[in-house]
Amino acid sequence: MSERPSVLRVRCPAQSRFVASLRHALASFLRAHGFAGQQLDDVTTAAGEALANIVEHAYTAAAAEVDRYIGLRANVDAQGTLALEVYDGGAFVERRPMRDRGFGLRIIRAIAGRLTIDTSNGTRLRMIFEQKR
Amino acid sequence: MNDAEPVKVIRLSGELEIGRKDEIRAALCAPADGTPVLLDLSGATYADSIALTELLRFCSEAQRERRPVALVIETPQFARLIQYAGLANVFKVFSQAAEALAYLKESSRK
Repeated sequence: MSERPSVLRVRCPAQSRFVASLRHALASFLRAHGFAGQQLDDVTTAAGEALANIVEHAYTAAAAEVDRYIGLRANVDAQGTLALEVYDGGAFVERRPMRDRGFGLRIIRAIAGRLTIDTSNGTRLRMIFEQKR
Repeated sequence: MNDAEPVKVIRLSGELEIGRKDEIRAALCAPADGTPVLLDLSGATYADSIALTELLRFCSEAQRERRPVALVIETPQFARLIQYAGLANVFKVFSQAAEALAYLKESSRK
């Protein structure tokens, strides 16, 4: 049995200063599970966009600081399939990309072949990636 | 523009991401005249859409003022980010500074 943990779960305040640390933690986890090269870059890029989107847009000014969080969960199964979830407790608003802003979701859609967005309780982006060997 | 004419060089390196948004915006300060700008991002190791938005704001303003701007990007992740965002035709991106300078020189002649 592998000694590597197959699940990474992190939750922290929805503040911009934490986004890079979360992305670095994900990259380390993915490297330990054999992800590399462009696929590693792409997955961490998609995660970074989802996390930044939460910090920028998920919570209204009225939301209490203690209730503003970002969560990330990554699971790699025995076949090397990654299920990546980025979630929050805020209100989802899908903004139409404008000429000079709103590229995050467009970038995520370009990277993640399998993407679902669940807005029933906060917002949960779920992306599935098959590891390229 | 001849060889003696100036080019303003703006360098940003490291991870260009949401946590550095204010720093990136402050660094992208255009000269008051029409001096061409070389955005040397060759030292950037990562970029996100927040950084892209700031770059787009800077380049759009430069375009309105007819100021040529060229970007030097070496990191594949950064180059792909521009493609994924659908901005490949918006920025003038080069992999080497010499090519970017040649473009700025040519643009200034027009």
